[in-house]
Amino acid sequence: MKKLIGVALAFLVCCSFLTAAVGVAGAQEKVYRIAYIARAQGDSFAAWLANAIRDEVARNYPDVRVDVFDGQSRNEVITAHIENAVVNRYDLILLQPLDSEAQVAPAMAAMDAGVKVVTVNNRINDNDRAPAVDADPVEQAARNARLAREQVPQNGRVVVLMGPAGNMHSDMRRVGWQKEFFDHRPDVVILDEQIANWNKDEAMRFMEDWILTYGKIDAIISMNDNMAAGALEATKAAGISDILAYGVDGTAEACLLIRDGVMTSTTLQSAYELAEKAVGLAYDILTGKKEHEIIMVDCPLITQENVEEYIEVHRRAGNIQ
Amino acid sequence: MSSPDLVNTIRKYSSRYSIYLVLAAMIVISSIISPVFLSTLNITNISRQISITTILAFGATILIIAGLLDLSAGSVLALAGVLSVASYKATGSLALAMAVGLAVGVVCNIVNGIIVTRFNTPPFIATLAMQTVARGAALQYTSGQNIYQIGNYVVFGQSSVGPIPTPVLFMVGIGVVTWYLLRHTRLGRSLYAIGGNAEAARASGINVNAVKMKAYLINGVFVGIAGVLFMSRVNAGLPNAGIMAEFEAMTSAIIGGTSFSGGIGTASGTLAGAFIMGILNNIMNLMRVQSYMQQIVRGAIIALAVCYDIYSKKKREARKLGSRVKSEFQPGQA
Amino acid sequence: MSGIVKLEMRGIEKSFPGVKALSNVNFTVKQGSVHGLCGENGAGKSTLMKILNGVYQPDAGQILIDGEEVRITSPLDARRLGIAMIFQELNYIPEITIEEFLFLGREPVNRFGGVDWKKIRQDTIKLLQAEGLHYDPTTQLKDLSVSDIQVLEILKALSENADIIIMDEPTSAITEREVDSLFEKILRLKAKGVSIIYISHKMDELFRITDTITVLRDGSVIDTRPTHELNPDTIITLMVGRKIQNIYPKEDVPVGEVLLEVKGLTSRGMFADVSFTARAGEIVGIAGLMGAGRTEVVRALFGLDPYDSGTILVRGRAVEVRDVRTAIQNGIAMLSEDRRRFGIVGVRSVTENAVLPNLSRFIYGGRLHQRKERAEVSAHFQAMNVKTPDLDTAIDALSGGNQQKVLLAKWMISEPDILILDEPTRGIDVGAKHEIYRLMTKLAAQGKAIVMVSSELMELLGMCDRIYVMAAGRIAGELQRDEFSEESIMKLATGGKIR
Repeated sequence: MKKLIGVALAFLVCCSFLTAAVGVAGAQEKVYRIAYIARAQGDSFAAWLANAIRDEVARNYPDVRVDVFDGQSRNEVITAHIENAVVNRYDLILLQPLDSEAQVAPAMAAMDAGVKVVTVNNRINDNDRAPAVDADPVEQAARNARLAREQVPQNGRVVVLMGPAGNMHSDMRRVGWQKEFFDHRPDVVILDEQIANWNKDEAMRFMEDWILTYGKIDAIISMNDNMAAGALEATKAAGISDILAYGVDGTAEACLLIRDGVMTSTTLQSAYELAEKAVGLAYDILTGKKEHEIIMVDCPLITQENVEEYIEVHRRAGNIQ
Repeated sequence: MSSPDLVNTIRKYSSRYSIYLVLAAMIVISSIISPVFLSTLNITNISRQISITTILAFGATILIIAGLLDLSAGSVLALAGVLSVASYKATGSLALAMAVGLAVGVVCNIVNGIIVTRFNTPPFIATLAMQTVARGAALQYTSGQNIYQIGNYVVFGQSSVGPIPTPVLFMVGIGVVTWYLLRHTRLGRSLYAIGGNAEAARASGINVNAVKMKAYLINGVFVGIAGVLFMSRVNAGLPNAGIMAEFEAMTSAIIGGTSFSGGIGTASGTLAGAFIMGILNNIMNLMRVQSYMQQIVRGAIIALAVCYDIYSKKKREARKLGSRVKSEFQPGQA
Repeated sequence: MSGIVKLEMRGIEKSFPGVKALSNVNFTVKQGSVHGLCGENGAGKSTLMKILNGVYQPDAGQILIDGEEVRITSPLDARRLGIAMIFQELNYIPEITIEEFLFLGREPVNRFGGVDWKKIRQDTIKLLQAEGLHYDPTTQLKDLSVSDIQVLEILKALSENADIIIMDEPTSAITEREVDSLFEKILRLKAKGVSIIYISHKMDELFRITDTITVLRDGSVIDTRPTHELNPDTIITLMVGRKIQNIYPKEDVPVGEVLLEVKGLTSRGMFADVSFTARAGEIVGIAGLMGAGRTEVVRALFGLDPYDSGTILVRGRAVEVRDVRTAIQNGIAMLSEDRRRFGIVGVRSVTENAVLPNLSRFIYGGRLHQRKERAEVSAHFQAMNVKTPDLDTAIDALSGGNQQKVLLAKWMISEPDILILDEPTRGIDVGAKHEIYRLMTKLAAQGKAIVMVSSELMELLGMCDRIYVMAAGRIAGELQRDEFSEESIMKLATGGKIR
């Protein structure tokens, strides 16, 4: 059995080398090879982005081949992927950083070795050396926060759901909420603030306990849509309908909840747009059309007024039937 | 009954039922520090929150008793759940959805069982492999995306029968099945025997591999049900569901007195262990304990509960040994 | 013999909740003597030795070494005071080498703070040479015999400057020839002035090696006397507190049909062409030296190991024994030689252990009928005089003899026609032995065929109707009752050469 698995693995490895070799051999008409190193294929936004990048390349760039590598939410794995991409002579590394510091050194080394690097959805602290396509996480939260400033009642009671401890997106979005909401509304009481790790089920569990402990809660302030949706499952079960709920990401689920009047607002972090811009920038750099650019993707606020537009986007992408 | 007899009886019961005493103490303390703790709603909450982990914990109990374990439970839960959700979305049949969930759980665990029994692989490695494969399959099938709009599928996890939430009913039902199985059936006895001493069990005519296969099979059924309930409760098909759930399940079992060296454990102990964990999480939320602090407290309480349980068992053993001194010296005391 | 007192334990008391394990025990060992300690299981030998070894603390009493009072609060203390213990069941790591074993836990350190392997190697060679042993220091323990390891244990004790060595049933797992060399070693230790406390159930050994014998019963010292003033009968009487009339209660019963016939049973590399028969009412012995293949044959017969060729006939009908279940279904039961490994499920209750092979008998509508189970187990326990506090006690908590009786009860419940007993009395006390012999007699009288494998020649001679002797994986010969003698067995077992 062990032998069999070993043989199978060896076979697979050989195959991948072979296809890589074919890719190089067929380079008469130049094919650009991009290594997309994803933060974690197990993270649903990251997976969405990876899919979008793959689709974008397949649809619009016949002379580009993209291979996706899974960073498994581990800095050392991402470093290894970067190093391997250099050794395997990829033309460009499209990197979705996990940690803004940890990826600086390997990314610099890759650039020094002559491989181009573009970061997408999060940046690295390299003084703008690497071209980047990103959305501003502070702004993503701030747009919701400015809306909430108007909506949350006087002396409102709110709960806050955070992503994993130390996660850049979670922390920066929290900063946005602080600056644009809490600093302006000293009357608001934060009943509790807990880490639900982006997870729907964990957020649901917290919310169940909160409903019981605090009774009336005016707003759920969540750093992503998934957790907001989880908390809303709990309010649904408790028969609560008059609660404000804010998220970030603009997932299909959140759009549907906003349409149904369950959720209040979210901001779109569009994987499609990130993918389109990132692949476009990468292509321009590969073909020499551009040297360097830092593109910030907009994060439109989604509320009941404009939600249909985004539902349509999701429907086209097949996320909603 | 004379008074020393009474003392001895109390001692005997307090050590045998030590974990229930821990649970009782937690309930008393929690109800003192939080006025809402003992409310019906909160008890319902706790039961619902622990139901899915506890179902996994019953499977883990059966396996650990038999000297096995399943590290793939969380991943298989996710795979069973998303495939079940997908089949519901495709056909609209709740019965089929449940059947698919069960089938996925069972098939994955049959594979676990075959790798463990036929190829003599340590369960740790075999099920670790399944953990990776099943998670990969769940992500592959969904492209890493959550499945939404699952409609009426939520009845499994979000409905109630009278005042009792459906997942809690499932938990109780599976608990009763586990209890009956362990306590009153031939398979139960065989599980304890092979976990306690597989060689001796074989020398008593027990088909060790068949028993191990059955243990995985039952675990598969439980994991499959847990997968369906999980997705239904969160109203989505989440390929990332249940990460580390197998460890929470094993923790409940171990706190409930299941011995990692095999041959010891009960369904009621596991239920108590699960409630201890559930109450701990609940009371900390009720008391607004900050996230990082919660982790520290949780770890400390797990260590304390297990130490107390082992300590009281040791005392009991010592008394037993005292009354009938063994012929052999304890190995390792030189 | 010098008369200097090496060790004195005075007025030792020890209670466990609900039980008095030792009361006012006085125990004195002289320098350079071998002091036998005997008593039934539960008499307090183990507790006393655990106190001496620092595992338990006495409730009252003093311990004096060389006339000075000492406190022994841990096995480490005991080691520092020169007390070493050699266990009945050897616990060692099979992969460890001789040199690693000898210096385990006290490895010399070189100037870099690492283990000084060079010094270990030199010291090991020195130690081995001093004892006239010719092992390579890098030999792994799994490649040595049990007696070799025992010798190493003693060496290790000596190299730690032990001058009181406790040996707990040191001969329970070694062959007769190895016993001789162990005894030579003991005599040499004695000559060096080392005091030895020798715990054993075997009368012949006690009389061969000890100078003084102390008998314990129910936590008290019954008597301490020079060995030459005692004889086996008096010791047994002292131990059990009553007279055992006849240690081997063999009865002649009418012999019936052939229940078991084995023809040409072969397992490559283990045994070859083994044929024998056992009739109803017979007790058939299988003798032989360690490694002659006795246990291997009966294991194959019971379906625990596969065999390559040969026929097994039960009541004249050929049976292919592929697994234990088949064997049980054909009325075969076997008590294994290694109680811990193949016998008991230690953490489970005596009841669960006793019904394990017969669960199907207690199933009613898919449910175990626990009242019936307990009733049947309880009846067998009573008949066999099993001493257990209750039916839910974990079998681990019982003495070796009682564990063995529970295992016998387990096979009685399955009502076999053919009972195979592999070393049924190993490591159990005289009282329990006697009860097992009586049970064998009773079963034979009921018309069962009993096959007994044993290393104790005396019990084979005392209990069997016929004895097959195995040597090097083959049946070397068959002895009828009138041909029985230790010499005739040893002659066949050693291939005709009597040393």
